[in-house]
Amino acid sequence: MKVKNEHEYNNDYEYIGKPERNVNGVEKVTGAAKFCSDIERSRMLYGKVKRSPYPHARIISIDTSKAKVLPGVKVVIVGDEETAPLRFGAGVADEYVLARGKALYVGDAVAAVAAETEEIAEAAVDLIEVEYEELTPVFDGDEAFSQNPPAILHEDLKNYTTIRSVPPRYADNRPNVFNYFRIRRDYDKNVFKDADIVLENRFEVAMIHHVQMEPHCGVAEIDGTGRLTVTGTTSKPYGMHRDISESRRMPSSTVRVIVPTHVGGSFGGREPKAEQIAASLALAQKGFPRRPVKMWLTREEQLMTSTTRARYIVEIKTGAKKDGTLVANEMTTILVGGAYAGTGYLTARNGSFGPAANYKIPHFKLDAYGVYTNQRMAGAFRGFGNAETLWGMECNMDMIAEKLNIDPLEFRLMNCTDEGDLNAFQEKMHSVGAKECLQAAARDIEWEKKPETPKEPHLKTGKGIALGNKYSLVPTASACFVKVHPDGRVELRTSTVELGQGSNTIFSQMISEEFKIPVSKVRVLNPDTDCTPFDLGTASSRSTFNMGNAIRKACADAKKQLFEIAAKELDVSADLLGTAQSRVFVKDDPEKSLDISELFIPMVIGGYTLKEGGEILGKATYYLPGVMPDPETGKSSRPASFYMFVAQAAEVEVDIQTGKIKVTKMVTANDCGKAMNPIMVEGQQDGGVLSMGIGSALLEEVIVDNGVMLNPQLADYKIPTTLDCPDCDNYKSAIIETAHREGPWGAKGVGEGTMVSSAPAIANAIYDAIGIRFHEIPITPEKVLAALKEKEKSGKTTFGGNHDKRLSDIENK
Amino acid sequence: MENFSLTVNGEHIEAEINPATTLQNFLYKYVGLTGVKEGCGEGLCGCCTVRVDGEAVKSCIILALQVNGKRVQTIEGLAEGETLDPVQEAFLDHGAFQCGYCTPGMIMASRSFLDENPAPSEKEIRHALSGNLCRCTGYHKIVKAVLSVDPKKEIVAK
Repeated sequence: MKVKNEHEYNNDYEYIGKPERNVNGVEKVTGAAKFCSDIERSRMLYGKVKRSPYPHARIISIDTSKAKVLPGVKVVIVGDEETAPLRFGAGVADEYVLARGKALYVGDAVAAVAAETEEIAEAAVDLIEVEYEELTPVFDGDEAFSQNPPAILHEDLKNYTTIRSVPPRYADNRPNVFNYFRIRRDYDKNVFKDADIVLENRFEVAMIHHVQMEPHCGVAEIDGTGRLTVTGTTSKPYGMHRDISESRRMPSSTVRVIVPTHVGGSFGGREPKAEQIAASLALAQKGFPRRPVKMWLTREEQLMTSTTRARYIVEIKTGAKKDGTLVANEMTTILVGGAYAGTGYLTARNGSFGPAANYKIPHFKLDAYGVYTNQRMAGAFRGFGNAETLWGMECNMDMIAEKLNIDPLEFRLMNCTDEGDLNAFQEKMHSVGAKECLQAAARDIEWEKKPETPKEPHLKTGKGIALGNKYSLVPTASACFVKVHPDGRVELRTSTVELGQGSNTIFSQMISEEFKIPVSKVRVLNPDTDCTPFDLGTASSRSTFNMGNAIRKACADAKKQLFEIAAKELDVSADLLGTAQSRVFVKDDPEKSLDISELFIPMVIGGYTLKEGGEILGKATYYLPGVMPDPETGKSSRPASFYMFVAQAAEVEVDIQTGKIKVTKMVTANDCGKAMNPIMVEGQQDGGVLSMGIGSALLEEVIVDNGVMLNPQLADYKIPTTLDCPDCDNYKSAIIETAHREGPWGAKGVGEGTMVSSAPAIANAIYDAIGIRFHEIPITPEKVLAALKEKEKSGKTTFGGNHDKRLSDIENK
Repeated sequence: MENFSLTVNGEHIEAEINPATTLQNFLYKYVGLTGVKEGCGEGLCGCCTVRVDGEAVKSCIILALQVNGKRVQTIEGLAEGETLDPVQEAFLDHGAFQCGYCTPGMIMASRSFLDENPAPSEKEIRHALSGNLCRCTGYHKIVKAVLSVDPKKEIVAK
C-alpha cells in the first residue's frame, strides 16, 4: 500500500483501515441471509407480466376477460388512468408502470396479473389478448441520433416532467435525444494547428448486462389504513419511494420502502420496475384485507427486459506535439439508450467526466448525447458511462503514442493530471493518484520486460496499459441517525444499501473508531424509510465519502448528547469527557468514569429511561451541492465530489489458430483516498477487473435481432467463470491512498473506478500481440479470426466498431 | 402426487409431492431452506448446489423424486452446531463473498470437491468451481479461500 499526502493522517486508528471480517458474513456463509426473493407471506399472491412482442407498436386494445375468469387469478391490470396515472423516471419522467398508448420495446410491460400461484399467473398472462398496430422501430444509434430518425419514441418529450436539480437538456433538431451535455474549454477551430499529429477515430462498445445473481424482486403489502409497504431489491430506496408515490399521486408518507440487509448485487442495474408492478398489483385489489403481492423476475426476464449498459459510440479526435504533449481533444459520445431514459439520462452526461479529468489538455471540446431506441432501458452500469468513453480515449492514446514512437506508459505519465492541474471543466483537481496508479500498475506487470515468447508459434503475447478515473456525482446528500443504546452498543440507521460491497462493515468500523468500541458492538439497520433517513442512493461510489461524512457528524452529535448527560452525573464540564469501550470518562482523569448503562434509569414495570432528551440519537446530513456546469462551456469549479484514479495493465496470449484470447496476467492500482477496509477495497477491485473488466472486453454482449435478445440464458450470455480469470499469482491489486481533504479520514470510494480501464488495457495488449487494433468490444475469437484473415488479405490492421463511419454521415448523405 | 422420503441435513422427511417438483423447489419452498438459492432454474449458475450422498448436485435440474431415500445436505446443514465448517471459516477469513447470493452453492461445491481432493492445486479448484457463477468477486478470493483450507484442520473439526 502506498500513501500519498502522508501528513493527512496518522495511522494510529484502531478500527478503520483494518481487514475486519464482513459483519454480515456469518449469515452469508451459513444460508441464514434472507434476500427479498426469500420473502413469503401468508396469502401472498404472485405477479407476472404480459410483455410486448414488438419493439414499437401502438396498443389498440387489451382483452383481459379470459384471464380474469381463470380460477386462482385475483388481479389483472393494464396501463390506464387508475394503474399508471403519471410517468416516472430518474431525471426524465418518461415511463409508465404499464405502457399506455404505445409499447416501446420487446418486453415492455403492457399488463400484469396476480394469482394464487406463479403457474396460474403465467397461464393468465397467456390468456390476455393484445391487439397492436406495429410501428417502425429504430435500433441503430447513428439513425436514432439523426435529425430525421426512422422513429420518434416520445413525441411529447418536451412536455415531460424533469428533475430540477440536474435538468436534462434536449437537442432541438434531434427528436430522440433525451439528454445533451457539452464542454468547451478554450476551444475554437484552430486548436489543432499546434499539433504535430492529429488522430481521429471511432470506437464502440456492445450492450452488456449486469447479471446480478439475484434477479429483481419486489413485495408489496397494504395495511388496513391503505398504507403501502414495498420491499425490494433497489439500490436507491428513496428514489423508488419517490417514483412509487409521485407516479400515483400518493402522499409520500403513505408509502414505505424497505430493502433487506442482503441484496444479490446491483452494479448500477437495480431499476425498480418489478417493485413498481408489485405495488400496482397490490393497490388494484378491492376491499379488505388486501393480499401481499410478490413480483420476482425469472432469469430470462432479467436478461431480456431489465436495464443494461448501453451500446456506446465514441468519436474522438486528439492532437499532440512531437514531444508527446497533448494539445487538443474533441469528442462526441452517444449513449445508445433504450425506450426509457432511466438513469441513462445522467449516464449520457456524466460519462464525459472521465475523459475530462484524465489528462492535462488545454483545449477540449465534448458533446455527449443520450438517445432513445426501441430497446429495453440502458442506464447505470459500474463506471457510469466512463468505461465506455475511456475505452475510446485510451485506445486512441495508444495509437498516438505508437505514431510518436513514445512508450504508452511514458506518454500517459507525462500527460496525466496531478494535484492542482485544471481539468476540462477548468476545475482545480484535488486528490489525484494518476501517476502513482500508473507506476504501480507498471511495476506489477513488469512493464519494462517483454512478455515471454511461447514455444508454440501460433501463440502471440503482448502487454497493454490504460489509465482511467471515475468521479462521484454532485449534487449529493446523505443523512443518518446514530443511536446509543442503554447496553452501550451503537446502532446506525442508514439508507445505504448493502449490495455486497461491504458498506455495513466499513460503516461499523467508522462507528467503532468514533466510539472506541469493537465492531461486534455496532449494528447497522437495513434501509427502511420509516426509520432510516434520506440517502441519494448506493451509486456513484459515493457511500464511503458521503455516508461516511454523515456518520462522523452524527457520531459527534450523539457523543455531544452523551457527554452532556454524563457531565451532570460526573459533575464536570461536558467538553472534558471522552468515551471508549461503552464507558464515559474524564480525559485528564480516566479513573473518573461511568458505564453508559448507568445513565439510563431502570423503571418500575419495565424498561430504561433517560431523564431528558428521549434517547441518545445523533443525526446529521452531509450535503454537497457542487457547482452546476455552465450549460455552454461546462465550466464548473466543483462538477463532482471527488475523482478516483485507476491504472490497469494486462498481458494476453492470443491463439491465432483459434482466435482465443487468454488474459495471462492482469494488474490494477486504484486510488481510493484511504482504504477503510483493505479486504473490501480488494473485493471491489477483483470483481471490477476480473468479472466485469475481462467479461466486457472479451465475452459479454447482449445480442439483439429486431429488438429481441437472442441470448437470454446464462449458457449463451457468458460472464467470466473461474477459468476465464488469470491465476491468483498472475493477478495483482494495489491500493493507492491519496487522501481527499473532505473525505472521512481522507477516504473517497472505489467500486465504480475498477473496470474503467480494463477493456482498453486488454485491447492495447492484443494490439501488442497481433498488431490488430480493435475498435469495438467484446473482442471475441470470431472477431480475432476475421481480423487476422482481413489483415492477411489486405494488410488492414483495424477492426470493427464501424471505424470508417462517422455520426455526421447520415446528414451529409 | 407421489410419496417419497429423504434425509435433509440429518432429519428424516416424508412428503407427498407433485412428481414435477424439482429438488431445489422442494427444499426451498416446502422444507423452507432458503439457502438453496435459485439463480437461473436451468443448472447454469450453481447457486442451488446441494450435496446428495456427498456429491455436489445442482438441485434445480433434478427432480425431488430422484433423491428418494438419499441423504441431502444443504448450506444450512454444514456447520456443526456453533462450529462452522473450515470452508465457511475460510470464506469469512478471505472475504470470499460479497452479495452472498452464490455463496451457499459455492461453499457446497467447494466442500464436496475438497472431500474428494483435500489438497488440490489451484488449477483443480478452478476446474471444480467453473460451473458456479459469481458476479461480485471475480473468484479471486474464493479460489484463495478454498486453497487455504487445511486438510488437517478439517479432520479435527469433524
